[in-house]
Amino acid sequence: MKARKSLATSVAVLMGALALAACGGSDDTSAGGDGDVELTFWHNSTTGDGKAYWDATAAAFEEANPGVTVKIQSIQNEDMDGKLQTALNSGDAPDIFMARGGGKLADIVDSGQVMDLTDKIDDDVREAVGGALDAFAVDGKVYGMPTAVLPGGIWYSKDLFAQAGITETPTTMAELEDAVAKLKAAGIQPIALGGKDAWPAAHWYYFFALRACSQDTINESAAEMNFDDPCWTEAGQAYADFAGIEPFNNGFLTTTAQQGAGSSAGLLANHQAAMELMGAWNPGVIAGLTPDGEPLADLGWFPFPAIEGGKGDATAMMGGVDGYACHVDAPDACADFLNFYMKQEHQEGYAEAFVTLPASKDAQGAVTDPALQDVLASYNDAAYVSVWLDTLLGQNVGNALNAGVVDMLAGDGDADSIVAAVKAAAAKE
Amino acid sequence: MSNSQGGNALLRTSTPGDGSAVGDGAVTAPSPARRPRRRGDWRKRAEIALLAGPAIVVFIAFVIFPVVMAAYYGFFKWKGYGVPTDFVGLENYLTILQDSTFIDALSHNGFIVVMSLVMQGPAAVILALLLNRKMRGRGLIRVLIFVPYVVSEVIVGTGWSLMLQTTGAINDLFGKIGLEGWAVDWLSDPDVAIWSLMIIITWKYIGFAVILFLAGLQSIPEELHEAAAIDGASYWQTQRSITLPLLGPTLRIWAFLSIIGSLQLFDLVYIIWGQYVSATAGTSTMATYMVLNGRNAGNYGFGNAVAVVLFIISLVIALTYQRFVLRRDTQGAITEGKK
Repeated sequence: MKARKSLATSVAVLMGALALAACGGSDDTSAGGDGDVELTFWHNSTTGDGKAYWDATAAAFEEANPGVTVKIQSIQNEDMDGKLQTALNSGDAPDIFMARGGGKLADIVDSGQVMDLTDKIDDDVREAVGGALDAFAVDGKVYGMPTAVLPGGIWYSKDLFAQAGITETPTTMAELEDAVAKLKAAGIQPIALGGKDAWPAAHWYYFFALRACSQDTINESAAEMNFDDPCWTEAGQAYADFAGIEPFNNGFLTTTAQQGAGSSAGLLANHQAAMELMGAWNPGVIAGLTPDGEPLADLGWFPFPAIEGGKGDATAMMGGVDGYACHVDAPDACADFLNFYMKQEHQEGYAEAFVTLPASKDAQGAVTDPALQDVLASYNDAAYVSVWLDTLLGQNVGNALNAGVVDMLAGDGDADSIVAAVKAAAAKE
Repeated sequence: MSNSQGGNALLRTSTPGDGSAVGDGAVTAPSPARRPRRRGDWRKRAEIALLAGPAIVVFIAFVIFPVVMAAYYGFFKWKGYGVPTDFVGLENYLTILQDSTFIDALSHNGFIVVMSLVMQGPAAVILALLLNRKMRGRGLIRVLIFVPYVVSEVIVGTGWSLMLQTTGAINDLFGKIGLEGWAVDWLSDPDVAIWSLMIIITWKYIGFAVILFLAGLQSIPEELHEAAAIDGASYWQTQRSITLPLLGPTLRIWAFLSIIGSLQLFDLVYIIWGQYVSATAGTSTMATYMVLNGRNAGNYGFGNAVAVVLFIISLVIALTYQRFVLRRDTQGAITEGKK
């Protein structure tokens, strides 16, 4: 009797709570009533030149489009995904938000929350961007606008290479292994690796797969979630063999990628290790970790070495594309803003502010860092550019791939178990 | 007693006109017994609703409601965007219980529960007994033992992980004092890592146990020790036959808190090992499993199911413990409140 009564009470109060929660979700009245348009804009530059760049670009856009105001919120990169997810679910999404393409964007597209930009991109912008737009394509439609391309490769210290007697940057795996041996003989840790974060360790697998698998195999595998092609296991085996010569820094499994002097980028910045495989954002990260806070003077770059007998093109690159997408209910001015920041002057400003490669080919002249110029040269000559595999495969499968690679490096699996982990995750989709 | 007084005061101020009649009715009850008592009930309930209501609403909205929603989401495959539609029934739960990495994580939790009790309990009792005696520098030692408990998990985790790196301070120290052989891979080697974790946990939480036990020791009447002394008991006899049994309730409550804390351990592991490496280092817990396979994999339905499993395991253990171990200690508290 007593129990029943208290149950009834709690059910009643629970209904109240549900009603409350429902109320919270329903008041999504959008801003802007009397002809004025307000665009809310979330980006991930919380400090310095990047933040200033977006402030200035938004101000220029407002000036060029009277009646439009851009309300900027800069959000810490690591908080972005969770905050965006909450906002999308509560019906309070920003009009313009950060996107990196691949499976994650596809998930938001599936839930019907992203604007189809296919017919809203200016022709000259489309031409200046080229293939980078593919990163934001889902089922043949474009859902985002790139602002930077971030291909990966091996960053190295020219001084440490000279100290170890390495005169030429490696172009094949055999030469890379030779360089590792020379560095070890000179008492230098050859390669810094932030295994704790998993993705830096997984990047090595991505590049082995890029060289082992043909472009078609990679795209078909991602589209059909089918990893039966032997090249996926061959890539894992090549990685396992390479890891066998112990090229990575001591304790690489508990090393982070970008936080502090003990991280993999920090090891490179402080001449504690000679190489790191990383994307084109690395010069900026390393600059923040050098003893004097200045860019590393002897930083160099070379593309991932070729692999004998691989089906992938030796010039192919892998990299990320940073960009922005519009919410499906955003005003038309949203697409205008995306086209606006792709203008040459703003893309040049972007390249300078972020020390990176602009998405628009017209703005490539603004790249002055010598290491980045090497990246750019390889990028322009690349046979094709693939998106990072974890982005390409989506969060679920990509995460399983990263975890599988770490397990293998920790001695808790092999080339077969990486593919098995990926297949198991794909089965969960 | 104090309740009915409060109720009267409340009613008198709100209805000054017939306040005396109501007040008399409630306290002295000259009229038929049933009506005033019912009024008293009503008043008592209004009072409870008024004072506890906001807290209950907050509790339901932020504790009960999320638990119910987690159980609901656990039945779906859900990427976290929009409303879940892909109902899969118990599939998530079956996947969890058949996943060897979850079983590993669960066994790590079990190991941490047992080792926390074994490592912290006796050490904390001995420390508390020592620190309960008058001695020079007692205050300083108490502070030193308690300080780690006050420091946040993030700082503790970051600090220890820097010291325990293969190139970190501890291995460096071993090298400098000629004990190179002692230098091991504290964090990555599966045979060592879980013990590194246990050392950090002990260092971090023993201060809490010591403080609890010291408080428990204060509540033991001095006369008992005096009587034992008159009977000729030695110091250790007194501790064994008087202090420890009387410290029992405190010990049992501490063990309860320690068990629940160990089952839900997340922050130290996440900060030191991260979610990926903790599995191969043998330090993953149910909570790190949840973050890796739920939030980070974007499988929010699955993650919610893990949360529910973790919740049920903790709840069952908590209830069992209360039923069989804490029964003696809570008997009075639960039954004496009601008449």
